[in-house]
Amino acid sequence: MASILKVDELRGIASAGDITITSEGGAATQSLQQGLIKAWRKYTCVTTTANTDSFNFSSITDNGTGDTSHNFSTAMGNATYTIMHNTQYATFSGYTNTGTLTTAAFRTGVFNSSVAAVDVEHNFVHIAGDLA
Amino acid sequence: MPSVLNVDTLVAANGTDPVTLTKQSAAKIFERHNASHSLDSSFGVSSITDEGVGQTTVTYLNALSSATQIISGSAGNNDTNECVITTTAAVANTTTTHYYAVADSGGSYRDRAVNATLVHGDLA
Repeated sequence: MASILKVDELRGIASAGDITITSEGGAATQSLQQGLIKAWRKYTCVTTTANTDSFNFSSITDNGTGDTSHNFSTAMGNATYTIMHNTQYATFSGYTNTGTLTTAAFRTGVFNSSVAAVDVEHNFVHIAGDLA
Repeated sequence: MPSVLNVDTLVAANGTDPVTLTKQSAAKIFERHNASHSLDSSFGVSSITDEGVGQTTVTYLNALSSATQIISGSAGNNDTNECVITTTAAVANTTTTHYYAVADSGGSYRDRAVNATLVHGDLA
């Protein structure tokens, strides 16, 4: 019978934010905290820019066509976190204005194949890195 | 009052296997590097190799159990000429590496200020 541990919060002993887990194959270990996605969001820019669903994101800001600012609920530990931004068919996207990439927020742009900014319905974001 | 469990290592009841919480769902590797191919941040990465303009090989700290890893990526710059990231059949991924290229809308490879990939899959 599988053992089940019921608990509301996990903390490391040596360091509260550092728990080691074993790999699927048993050959390695790695940090639990660092491997977790720290924020994700689906949002739309059609008609109005609005959050569809999210985790650890607060407000969303429409800066113009295809141009969106994303604000975290809980800040990242540094401004070198990793952003994955994907959109729907026939568009491409990524960071814009990297000077505005901070521990609290970042900015993305969506473009068509002619490099013209566009508003699309389906936009997806994943954030990896260390929380503050 | 919420219960708090203080622990340094989590394993399954047999003492070796991963627990359900972390099995498969946690990211195993991520990296972000700049236009000079210097790492800004990373996790589970041993090194990155500059394979030419816009092209990078990422070498892992720990091997994956198979070369069927799931890779997502994004890239960008200070201007609005954004790029896409693609893997290529010409350079096969292995259990310890993945290759990717950053290209503009015309298909030309570009070195960008921010380039990032994220990998999911099983570790060996």
